[in-house]
Amino acid sequence: MPVNSERRLSIAERVIEVLAEVAEDNVVRTDPDIPLFEQDVLDSLRTVDLILALTKEFGVDISPAELDRSLWATPKHIVAFMEAKVGV
Amino acid sequence: MIPYASFFYFGLLLYPLVIGLVLAWFGKLTPGILLGLTVAMVVVQYSRIQAEGPNAFDKVWAVAGFALYQLAIASAFLQVRQRLQSKPAFWFAIILSLLPLALVKVVPTNAGVTLIEFVGVSYVTFRSLDVIIGIEDRLITALSSRQYVLFLLFFPAVSSGPIDRFRRFAGDLAQPRTRQILLADVDSGVQHIMRGFAYKFLVAALIKSHWLEPAESAHGMWSTISYMYAYTLYLFFDFAGYSAFAIGIGSMLGIRTPENFRLPFLARNINDFWNRWHISLSTWFRDHVFMRFMLAATRGKWFRSREVASVAAFYVTFLLMGLWHGVALRYVVYGLYHATLLSVHNVFGRWRRKHGKGEAGLGWEVASTALTFQLVCFGLLIFSGRLG
Repeated sequence: MPVNSERRLSIAERVIEVLAEVAEDNVVRTDPDIPLFEQDVLDSLRTVDLILALTKEFGVDISPAELDRSLWATPKHIVAFMEAKVGV
Repeated sequence: MIPYASFFYFGLLLYPLVIGLVLAWFGKLTPGILLGLTVAMVVVQYSRIQAEGPNAFDKVWAVAGFALYQLAIASAFLQVRQRLQSKPAFWFAIILSLLPLALVKVVPTNAGVTLIEFVGVSYVTFRSLDVIIGIEDRLITALSSRQYVLFLLFFPAVSSGPIDRFRRFAGDLAQPRTRQILLADVDSGVQHIMRGFAYKFLVAALIKSHWLEPAESAHGMWSTISYMYAYTLYLFFDFAGYSAFAIGIGSMLGIRTPENFRLPFLARNINDFWNRWHISLSTWFRDHVFMRFMLAATRGKWFRSREVASVAAFYVTFLLMGLWHGVALRYVVYGLYHATLLSVHNVFGRWRRKHGKGEAGLGWEVASTALTFQLVCFGLLIFSGRLG
């Protein structure tokens, strides 16, 4: 359904926007498969910022205990995680 | 009996392993049977055949009592959490869960608390805390007693980790294994066990007899420096070898415990080191202490700046990690030492980013890796207690 896919797109875009801002790195906009932790785009401190920013943006609770780094490995992973969380 | 320390133990290990593998081949290795194997091995590992009379099984009872005590706390807290969110209830559950460990670590050994002490109590306590935190965050909304006890006491990892996470563990239990997956698990298991033998019985044993022990008995600055390197390498090969056994046996039984070490001496900086060394413990502290503290501090505006908050978080986290190893001055100093290194690294890293110093050259990388290794070795020298 077009409406649904539009909504999905917008969540993905919002996540990437938040991520780029927190990571202070535009590479996340161009490379959805970049390994964020291996490439030092994210570390524990910036992950905390990201949790706070995503919580604010989407109004959902995110626990640091659910962030297995394999679940948040790339921008694409984080988008999928947030889509599941927001319930698309 | 100390696990993975004698060939007699490995002989006994063949029983649960062969039973487990044959049943798994026919798709019959259920969590219930796995629990049965675990209970049998816990009895083997914690009974003292040499002890006379009633003392032979006292540690078995200590482990059983501990597991039931933790199960009661987790179940009660789950009941409460399903009705309401209450911070006092959460902290009360945490304190109750920590109580046996705290008693064992703080009270002098001759005061009768030795009754509840057993090898691995600190590791198992951290598994039970993981469940309480999961319940608080509503990541765990149902708890089967069988699954819980199996998670807590899973025999390959009960005595010294790795400290698995409940949701990950439960995911492995729920996943059906095809014969193809089983063969891949066995392959990984055999490789880990071989690595365990090489690390623990070959490299660590040689370092111990030819380097560590001679350096230990010698005096003077040079022998202390020699001891520092020997101790660091011995600790790594012994513990990584032990972890490889635990991961390998677990993998054969369908529990794919994450790696505990990832080439730690190739770490490029101290932050990188903690992503590679005793990973199950460091990630436990990262997720359950450091990040929670940072989240709460930022939301509650506890500190005037983010930098101050992160330095405070490093000190809280590493002080607790030091104390986890034991209540002794050297562990406290070890924790403070690493908190200081991480704080300096973090502030320096921010400065570099701000001033646009991005990619570093190869020379920098090599120097940084070498420096990290030296700092780590010195930290373990503090940890060893040789400095007094």
